Amino acid sequence: MPINEMKTSTCETHPSLVAGLVLLAVTTFVPLAHAESQQDMLVFASLSGVDIFSVSDPALEETDKRATASFLYTYNNNRFRFVGEYIWSNTESELERLQAAWQFDEQTMLWAGRFHSVSNFWTTEYHHGQFMQTSISRPGLEEWEDESGPMPSHVTGLWLQHKYATGSESAIDFSLAAGLAPRFEGQQLMPFDVLNPEPGHELSVAGRIAYRPDVLSNSQIGVAIAHHDIAVSSESNPALADFNTITQSTFGVFGSWHWKKWVLLGNFVYFDIDLDYVDGGVKDKFLLGYVQAEYAASEDWTVFGRTEFGDGEDNSPYLQLLPAVVAHRQMLGVRWDIADAHALTMEIADTSAQGADLSHDHFKEIRLQWSAVFP
Amino acid sequence: MECGVSVRTNIAQFLATGVLILIAQLSLADEAVVLVTSENSSFEDISSLDIRKAYLGISVTIDGQIIRPIRRGDDERLDRVFLQSVMAMSHRSYERRLLSLVLKFGTPRPAEVDERDDLMKLLFDRPNSISYMWKSDAESDPRVKTIKVLWQET
Repeated sequence: MPINEMKTSTCETHPSLVAGLVLLAVTTFVPLAHAESQQDMLVFASLSGVDIFSVSDPALEETDKRATASFLYTYNNNRFRFVGEYIWSNTESELERLQAAWQFDEQTMLWAGRFHSVSNFWTTEYHHGQFMQTSISRPGLEEWEDESGPMPSHVTGLWLQHKYATGSESAIDFSLAAGLAPRFEGQQLMPFDVLNPEPGHELSVAGRIAYRPDVLSNSQIGVAIAHHDIAVSSESNPALADFNTITQSTFGVFGSWHWKKWVLLGNFVYFDIDLDYVDGGVKDKFLLGYVQAEYAASEDWTVFGRTEFGDGEDNSPYLQLLPAVVAHRQMLGVRWDIADAHALTMEIADTSAQGADLSHDHFKEIRLQWSAVFP
Repeated sequence: MECGVSVRTNIAQFLATGVLILIAQLSLADEAVVLVTSENSSFEDISSLDIRKAYLGISVTIDGQIIRPIRRGDDERLDRVFLQSVMAMSHRSYERRLLSLVLKFGTPRPAEVDERDDLMKLLFDRPNSISYMWKSDAESDPRVKTIKVLWQET
């Protein structure tokens, strides 16, 4: 429930002291400067377990459990808007989003701070709201950086957002963002950390255009383009020893369609990557994509499935730097919404990860999850 | 003689029951939900599409004034009728749409009141606020202005 008509406010639930202080300062001092404001606090919680079996490499057999809480705080005051998102789990604790915006008019807004890359469709639809996505797993294409995601998910900089009404019910959304790209460290991309800023991050530029035939629904179709100059931390991984930089350009086509009891969503991204070695360069081009279909059998039960695939990715030298990245997955699942804000979900999947060489890792997954949103 | 009294009593009971049913039906037929604002608000009309947009967190402006929607948490049946007949959504679907906009863009959700007094205060404190009421409640309160009928019992 929104906390309306706030004259003053405080926020002290974030587990990180620094992040808590930042949010506390914003939520305390900004409202004092303006009489009328509105803020919202949501907690997306989940408990999930995954069992990996029938593996091609027995060393990969694994059972894992994860408890996650994502704290979302928003603040609005006339033309000013603020969004903070902090995630805590038994494996990580990180400030995910810290962004403030100025709304020039009803259509145009300029954001500054750390935000999710506008070119990543799934990421910008569900962020860290696990309860809001029907499936437990995310597509490998749009995994977070620390889960071997191949695309930068977090950018720190500026994001211009504009909505152009094409009729009383339809609209075109434009987004243009520029900022600091992640670095490549070890076996993952490492985004700029606003709470522990370090130099060595290069430029990221991304744009996105989406057509929404009905602004009252979630249906949309669009294209996204991005260019990231990714600095390489050569000492962090022997495989990176001869690297200077990685230049990643992507072009994606995405869409989600909501029709009666059906939801269809997908994203296809073409990668054009320059791997700049000390003694020369290598071109790497491939395509990754996914399609997910969801059917609401009743208000409480939803069955869903997703196929993830690629073209030219099997021999990609870039993806070999991300051995855990999932390029192939055939998944089926069922979700039971046991209450308005609680759901139980189960998934089974036949999956292939890239692996450290060209052999790839094949395995099966079964996942169980409880997810909820509070309050 | 006793038989005659009994028959008259039964007829009277039958007629009384019929009258009560008729009154109840007339009352139901008259039940309606209306869109209201404060008597001080400047606008006189708003389209059904703009009502839906406003209640989905999309900014709606009339004569340069932003429309501010207020939800009725104090009357579950009224809220359900509003969501079904105006928003064409179940309570769950509507809440998820609002959550999605908060998550994606930090879009503020409509204000929600838990008491009738809070509704009246918000309507008057915030210019161009809108909410929904039973028609009978709106008619009995001169402080509110009825904009349009949203739903009528048929």
